[in-house]
This record gives sequence, C-alpha cells and structure tokens, in this order.
Amino acid sequence: MVEIIRQGLYTTIQDLGRFEYQEYGVPLSGALDQKAFRMGNQLLNNPKSAAALECSFKGPKVRFHQETSIVLTGAEMQARLNNSPVKNYTPIKVLEGDVLDLGTAINGCRTYLNVAGGFQTEKVLGSRSQYRGITKEERIHKKVLLPTGTSPFVPEKGARVQPPTIDYKNPTLTVYPGPEYHLLKKEQRSQLVQQTLHLSELNDRMAFRIQEKVQHHLPQIWTAAVLPGTLQCSPDGTLILLMRDAQVTGGYPRLLQLTDDALDLLAQKTTRATLRFKLLSLLE
Amino acid sequence: MNKIPFRVFALHPKVLLLEWEQQPSDSLLDKLIAFKQILKNQNEVSRCTMGYKSLLVHLTDNFPSLTKFQELLYTLYDSIEVGALSGIHWKIPVCYEETHAPDLNSLANALKKTPEEVIQLHTAATYRVYFIGFLPGFLYLKGLHQELFLPRKSKPLLKVPKGAVAIGGKQTGIYPNESPGGWHLIGKTPLSFFDPKKSPPCFAKSGDWISFDPVSAKAFLKIKEQCIAGKFKISTRG
Repeated sequence: MVEIIRQGLYTTIQDLGRFEYQEYGVPLSGALDQKAFRMGNQLLNNPKSAAALECSFKGPKVRFHQETSIVLTGAEMQARLNNSPVKNYTPIKVLEGDVLDLGTAINGCRTYLNVAGGFQTEKVLGSRSQYRGITKEERIHKKVLLPTGTSPFVPEKGARVQPPTIDYKNPTLTVYPGPEYHLLKKEQRSQLVQQTLHLSELNDRMAFRIQEKVQHHLPQIWTAAVLPGTLQCSPDGTLILLMRDAQVTGGYPRLLQLTDDALDLLAQKTTRATLRFKLLSLLE
Repeated sequence: MNKIPFRVFALHPKVLLLEWEQQPSDSLLDKLIAFKQILKNQNEVSRCTMGYKSLLVHLTDNFPSLTKFQELLYTLYDSIEVGALSGIHWKIPVCYEETHAPDLNSLANALKKTPEEVIQLHTAATYRVYFIGFLPGFLYLKGLHQELFLPRKSKPLLKVPKGAVAIGGKQTGIYPNESPGGWHLIGKTPLSFFDPKKSPPCFAKSGDWISFDPVSAKAFLKIKEQCIAGKFKISTRG
C-alpha cells in the first residue's frame, strides 16, 4: 500500500490506456508521456501495462506501507526519500514507513512514480487510467491508500541507468501533414510550420491550445474519429492539440498530426512554452 | 474492380484514415459497419473507429507496406455484401413535461409551433445511430425532422443534466452524463446511456435505431427507480 500524504497539484493513476471502447465514445486516456511511463515499467521489470502515478508540476508526498522498489521517470522533480535526494531513472528499494516527497518539477512537467508490481487500483473497461465518469475518482486525493502489486524485483546495488537524453526545452515537434493540411493556402501553411508558436494557459489532459491563431477559410468537416496528437483548427483559427483524454470524435479540420515522440515531448511542456512544427512526410 | 469510393490517408505510421467522397447516408453507414467488421478481423488491424463518412484504422506491428495494405483494403471493400439492415430499434421513454423540459417552450416559440407539435414531430421520427462520440455514450443520431432544426443557444449551459434530450442545429441527442452543453433541452429520459460497470458500457451501437416514447413525470420516476434496481427492460421493436 502507498499512502498519499499530500496529493500534489494534479496526480492521476495512468497506464497504457483504454483501447477497446472508443466505439462507445470512451477516450483513450493513459500516460501523457508514454515513453517515460514505459521506461518506468521496464526498469522495474513490470508488465508493460502496470499502472503508475502521473504527477504534474508539483508532485505528491507519499508513505510506503511495505517494502518495495520504485523508480521515477519523466520530468525531474526535487524528489527526496526521507530527505535524501532521489535520481530519476534509477530503481531504488524503499522500506516500510519511508516517505517520498516529489517536490516541484524543475525540468519538464510530468513525472511517473512507478512501484514494483504496479498500482492495483480499480480496473474499469480494461484500464486503471482515471477519467471522470469512468473511474470512481478522476484524480488522487490525500489520505487515500493505493494498493500495490507484488514483484520479486530487487534493484541491483550501485546499478546506474543512463537516463534518456531528451531535451524538454527543445521547441521542435515533428509532425505529419493532416488530412486538411493541403487545403490551407501557402502563406497559412508557412505560418503554421515556420513560425515560433507558444502554448496557451489552456492545457490539460484533454487538449493543449496554442496562443497564436491561423486565420483560415476551411469548411467544417463531417464529424470523424480523432486521435491524440491531432492538431485541429476551430472556425476562429484556434489551434488545438488533442491529448490522450480527448473525446474520440471531432468536427474541426485536422491540420497536422504529431509523431509519437513529439506527443511525449509536448506532455513535458506547459503555458508559454515555445513550439515549432517540423513537417515530415509519411512516405515509406 | 469498381471505382474506389474512398481515399486512404496515412495520418500516422500506424493509423490510416479512410474517407468516403459521398455524403453520409444510411446505405453508406451499412457499408461502413460491414467494412469495419471485416477490418477488425484482419491481423494488420488492431482497432477501427467510425465517423459520419470515415473510418480510422489503427494498425498492429504486423503491418506490411502501405501499398500492399491499400490493395488489400480495396479487395476487402469490394467483397462486402451488405445484407438486410442489422441493428436493434430501441424505444426510449422521454418525459417532455415542463420540469424536465426547460427549453421546450422557447424552442417551440422560435419555431412558431406549439410545444405539442414539437413533441409530436420529435416522437414520430425514427433516428439512426451513426456512431458514438463527444462524450462516452453520446449517440450521433440522424433523422431529426427539418422543421425542428434550430441553431444552438448562444450561451451554453455549464451543467446540462444527465439524461437531457436536446436539439442543437440539425441534430437531436441525449446527454449521457452531466456536462456543459449548448443545445435546447426539450425533455429527459430516465435511462442510463453509459454505465462503465457494464461491458459494453452503452446498450446502443452504430447502426441501431432509436425512437422516443413520451411518458409522464410520474412514469419517469417509476422507470428511473426500476433502472436503478436493474429491473427495467428497454422495449425494442423487431
């Protein structure tokens, strides 16, 4: 069991996501930075779908009620275990009664706290990812006790794992052209892929909006299925990047599609971050 | 082979968008549903989701080259035989009385009709479920009588109650859960359109039909109680 002493700014249980129920309108959900999340499970030798805590901006403070192993991945927070600093991407053993305080993110925005065996909270429609109206709670609150699994994993003493070299401040997001991209005029296209853009303060697990607008005359499209990483453009020119809690269908023109790497990188950015789209072609 | 009626757009290395040129129609919907079933059974496909005139095909790691798969897509599409229309016709009880229909009078006024005429038109039609989106369990229904078309409210409500039956633009729909919304609320159903404890979580699916049965406020409460107790059976028409 892991006890939540302080919940942090926005902490949720996440796993790979909920894949099988999109035809009933159920969002995909799952960890926003999939790469960091997956590495956490790899480092603990967990099944790849084991659930972790996704901690945003300001992390939680937790107490372990039994001996286990943990690892932190993703954003670097000022994490301390019983007052000693904890390094990301390094599995460590924790003892019963140990207290982990994740502190504030100093590089990136989202940190994954993973335990050996994963968090064993309720599984709804094939996933533990929290989402309003699907799981009982939409986020983690203080005082709750989160059940954890068991695992024979023991971290190797002195073993160091090379953290991935991802620069969270890199503004370049690689993208593919979206289905309506070619309908933009030439100058609108260059506005989109050559200018420096900035994230607005409206950014959450459903969507990240961009401060700059692109004036266009594109018609609405017939509502179609969408996916995380799609850049939509509303009638007033607002650019909306869909994230993993986005609704499953949308009726706005789809200008760009982020690569998986770019979507993971975006998850580590917040308000006012600079962005630049780099267009790739999708030819084999 | 016939002319290929859809374009294949590679949206992502593992996601293809298939988009039809023609306008949405019941016959296209039947083809999309049949095609989706066939695609879901292919090794190359992990899942497939629908829009009005499009399919989003998610590919597995077994996915070969795009060119090869595109050929397979065309062959499979050519082999579709759409038989008799499948799908269930659900009769949805709706209370149109004032307590459950805060916008019925204003909508009727705007359309220069009486509330009774609105209810008559709304309940006489049979609606087709095209797909589910927007919110978990929100059905995209086609078949609203054109005399009931009315642009959405200029100011959306922050809290539309669960079960609200509404009209917005050229569409009618049922709010499966409390949510913000800008449609005109003309009634309410006691039925639950989304229950995460059930699999599938929504009783209706693409291709089904819906019609609305007017019930009194008293009957609404009784059905609601039966639903909570798990004892209400939604009536269907063959």
